[in-house]
This record gives sequence, structure tokens and C-alpha cells, in this order.
Amino acid sequence: MSKLVTSYRALALVVGVLLVAGSISSILKYLLTEGSDLQELGDQLTWIWLVHGWIYMVYVVVAFFLSRRAGWSLQFLGVLLLAGLVPVMIFFVEHRVVARLKAEHPELVG
Amino acid sequence: MSELLRPRYWAAHLLALVLLGAAVWLGLWQYDAWSARRAAEARSLTEEDPKPLADVIGPDDPFPGNYVGQPVDVVGTWVPDGTVYVSGREHDGRDGYWVVTPLAVGDSADDPALLVVRGWTDDVETAPPAPTGEAELTGWLQPAEGTGEVDENPGDDVLPQLRIADAIQHVDQDLYGAYAVVTDVAATPAGEGLEQATLDQLPEVGRFTGLRNFFYAIEWWFFGAFVAFIWWRWVREERPDPAR
Repeated sequence: MSKLVTSYRALALVVGVLLVAGSISSILKYLLTEGSDLQELGDQLTWIWLVHGWIYMVYVVVAFFLSRRAGWSLQFLGVLLLAGLVPVMIFFVEHRVVARLKAEHPELVG
Repeated sequence: MSELLRPRYWAAHLLALVLLGAAVWLGLWQYDAWSARRAAEARSLTEEDPKPLADVIGPDDPFPGNYVGQPVDVVGTWVPDGTVYVSGREHDGRDGYWVVTPLAVGDSADDPALLVVRGWTDDVETAPPAPTGEAELTGWLQPAEGTGEVDENPGDDVLPQLRIADAIQHVDQDLYGAYAVVTDVAATPAGEGLEQATLDQLPEVGRFTGLRNFFYAIEWWFFGAFVAFIWWRWVREERPDPAR
């Protein structure tokens, strides 16, 4: 499997997990009673968003190069990028990316 | 190029512009939040409860760097003959003077004195007379100034800046290596007839304050740059190849 594809899959996993964790922290922070233990935990975990943002920047660049390499449309690149922002979506998108690569560029997936 | 200005491309251009504008704006918003947090932290020390002067600085001590702007309670005796005026101080956009009288900290008027900025006046001639006797007041502690500006008339009571080496010519005792700005001029007897002097030096802000907002700002600008880049590539690819 090419380095690009491996990087994309690893980043997709990390971004996906951070996105879910960040969403949970925000739900705790904003939806629970102010001052309760879980609410404060959510407040303390907001740094997850910072980490997510920085790793997402790397994801954006890698997704861009991957989509160029595979010759995909800008629309599909848009789907790849959006997947890093909508919770859980990235796990399905990553699956679809691997499937498309296998069909269109077996040499990249090996 | 005119090919790309056709109506069927308008939506794509508009989308790029909106995304780019949003990223720049969100970055500026986070950058402002970062600055605001730092300014708030700088102010917060000045709003703490006052400490007794002796807990913060002694007469022979160097200025404690982490107490710039700390409110201190001072008890002592005025040294009216040591009164000086510091020129070039603005108040509500008007040029004027700080009115500074040393306060001997202790029971005797010969004890080491702390320079106290009693307030602001626009005219030295009409400034109220210096107070006498004992006093108790609260002021923000400030390190002495000193950028080497030359006092052009060393004979008079007007100084270009609040430097200990200049002020000490006007008193017979030792001076603290600091000065205090009366926090509430209107509520202090020695401030009668004077207006509030504003704080010149605010405490240094911790390096990490609001850093998260700063990093968010960088992220947003990165995405803005990425949008611009994708837009540019797309324009290049859509443009009909002249060689074809």
C-alpha cells in the first residue's frame, strides 16, 4: 500500500476519533447543568478541538494529494474534507475511498 | 479568462469567496479573543485586594517584577517639600502633569519615602497645595521610570519622567525604588482638586494566556489559504488550454 494511502487512512482514523471525542466533550459542556462533574469534564476536554483542528489541517493536505493522484473530482475531494468535520461520517468515507482505490487504482492499494 | 466569468461558474466563485471570507473572519475573531484575554489578565492584578506595602517591597529592595500594578496600602507621613510634577501626562486627551508627593513610610517624616502620584492636573500653577501630616491610602505599585530623558530645567519642580535619581534631589531621605498611583483620587483626601491619574505600566501577561485562541486563529487562516489555493488550481484547470 502506498505511503499516501497509509497516511490518509491513519489520519482519517485519528481525525474521526478526535471528532467523536470532541463532540462528546461539547455535548457534556453545553447540554449539562453548569457546575456538575460531567459538565466540568466536558469543559476541560475542549482542548480536543484544538488537536483535532491541527491534525485536520494535515488531513486536508493529504486528502488533497490523494485525490489528485487518483484523479478524483473536486466534488469528491469536498466529500473527503467534509468528512473530517461531520462526526462519524469519516469512517464511511474512508471505507468508500479504499473501495474506490481498489477498483480504480489497484497499484496504490496493492 | 473571460470563459471563467460566465454565469455557470458564478456559483463556484461565490462559494470560494464565501469560504475564504468566513475563514479570514473567524481567524480575526479568534485573534481578537486572544488579545482580549491577554488585556483582561493584565488588568486583573490591578483589581486584586490591596496588600500592605511592606509585604511587597522594602525601602532598599529592587522592584518585585510580578507586582507591577498591585494595589498596596501605604501608611505614613507626607513630605510636602518634596512635591514634584511630571510633565507630558495625558488625561482625556489633554496634556498635563502628574502631581507627586513623597510619603515617608513610618512614624517619622525622615523615614524612607514612597513617591505617590496623587492625581493629574492641567496646570502646575493652580494645583492644590501639597498635603501635610499623616495619611493612609491605597495605590497601584509601579516601577520607577527611567529612559534617560534629560531634565532640561533641573532647578524647578517639573520632571520629564518619574525617575528616582531626579526625585531624590527634592527630598532629604531615601526613596523606595518604586512609586504608587492613588487608585481612587476622588476618595482620597490628598487627591482633592486633582483628577484621576491613569496607570502607565500594566503587569506582564503570562506567555500561555489565551494561546488556544491564537492557535485557532492560525488554523482558520490556514484553511482560508487552502480555499484560495484550491480556487486557483480549479481556475487553472478549467481555463481552456490555448495549445489545444
